[in-house]
Amino acid sequence: MNHHGWLDALASELRRHGIDPELSRHVVSEAASHLRESGEPPLAVFGSPAAYAAAVAESLGAGAAPAGRPGGVGHPLGGPVRGTARAGRPAPGPVRLDVRGIRKRYRRRPVLTGVDLTVRAGEIAAVVGANGSGKSTFLRICAGLTSPDAGQVRVYGSLGYCPQEGGTCDFLYPEEHFLLVGAGRGMSRRAARAAGRAQAAALDWDPAGRIQARHLSGGTRQKLNLVLAGLGEPDVLLLDEPYQGFDRGSYLDFWQQLWRWRAAGKAIVVVTHLLNQLDRVDTVLDLTPAREMAS
Amino acid sequence: MTKLWTVAELALWEILRRRGVLLILLLFPLAFYLSRRGDHLGQSIRFVCLGIGWALSTAALFAGSAARGIEPRLRLSGYRAHHLHLGRLLALWIVGIALSVPYFLLVRLDQHDVRYGAIALIMLLTVATAAPFGLALSAVLPRDLEGTLVLLVVVGLQMVMDPADAAARLLPFWFSREIATYAIDHTDADYLTRGLVHGVVVAAVLTALVALASGIRLRQRGHLRVVSVR
Repeated sequence: MNHHGWLDALASELRRHGIDPELSRHVVSEAASHLRESGEPPLAVFGSPAAYAAAVAESLGAGAAPAGRPGGVGHPLGGPVRGTARAGRPAPGPVRLDVRGIRKRYRRRPVLTGVDLTVRAGEIAAVVGANGSGKSTFLRICAGLTSPDAGQVRVYGSLGYCPQEGGTCDFLYPEEHFLLVGAGRGMSRRAARAAGRAQAAALDWDPAGRIQARHLSGGTRQKLNLVLAGLGEPDVLLLDEPYQGFDRGSYLDFWQQLWRWRAAGKAIVVVTHLLNQLDRVDTVLDLTPAREMAS
Repeated sequence: MTKLWTVAELALWEILRRRGVLLILLLFPLAFYLSRRGDHLGQSIRFVCLGIGWALSTAALFAGSAARGIEPRLRLSGYRAHHLHLGRLLALWIVGIALSVPYFLLVRLDQHDVRYGAIALIMLLTVATAAPFGLALSAVLPRDLEGTLVLLVVVGLQMVMDPADAAARLLPFWFSREIATYAIDHTDADYLTRGLVHGVVVAAVLTALVALASGIRLRQRGHLRVVSVR
């Protein structure tokens, strides 16, 4: 990796760690000066960009995500558990998603048994649970795409939904997807294209070019999926494991994007099975059935 | 209208980018036409019209199946169900007309002593009927293979059944044989009237069926209440 490439990678990693842009430029500039003067290879001096950025972030005590202990997990019958990720952030806004008493059976097997969830503006709720515990079904019920056997969902504002798979058109280019979803949201073509490009840039992806969605890699296709969910600034975002296929950097970008949305006052529900991020959310809803938890 | 046109435009692009499929669609009616051109010119006209119907129905079936994944998201993004199915229908009708024009010109140049206006009418009704027929099949039979087999059966029956048989009127392209008889054999206008009524009714019923299926599938469920905050 040459100096230029290493410095670019460092800038990206610093951004992922939520370092202030001004400070980030300063760090990159300092590193560039040092490399220029020493004439040594950057990997030998600083190590990998990711490791150096992590060290910088740690030394600054920074990071966009608020610190806090892991927000515990709750049982569906007992309701969601609130984490402590809110420390240092403004109080949450009004309720945007209110889910009450959702029950769902598939054939004779109960999948969701009286699930409640309330998410306010400026909050992230994580839905966790074992395979087959009904996470995606729960999200589809919240989106109104699947009917529950019982229960009510109230959404205050507009909805954005990112499905686990599908949700794109194989033969359309990414920017055509922006136009399609943007038109539904009442956006002009120019505004939809600009908003899509801006959100894609936040995920470190350039959507320009004539590549049909079917030819995108799995991770890039999921980025497209995520961008479409956020297009038009919906008040409530329902994201069903949207990071499948993401590499490490994209995964960090994804959480950065979530925190930006949260800071912008959106209510977010994200289905996840990656428990290492649960300290970064406000509420955790565990759909693992009680008998599995006991065992 | 912007939403409708956007869906139509992008659905059209989706179809046009399936180049291999388009080529087959384009050549398919030609094979039908040439199969009977040597021995029965009139029959080749009947066959080419059926070929157009089959080709467009198949395209509609696949377009409908491909759209199932994104339509729920589009519904949540502010589209109404009618924007989605009418936009797609519009795109398919445009493709159907573009597919029919060269075959009409072929008939016009290759065949004599036939009523060209009536043949244009058959093609128009075929396009009007075939697009909602394929979309309706995709709504009822979500798997492509099942839908394709049903199409095969319908078009096969259309070819072998006696048009005078009352049951033949249940087939979607019955009007085609009826109007073709008027156009080729110079029968009286009753054939034209019967065919025209049949074609219009079938196209209307199939379009309504597509609207109904789309409305049911993309309805807002009763448990969800969306409250506007802006």
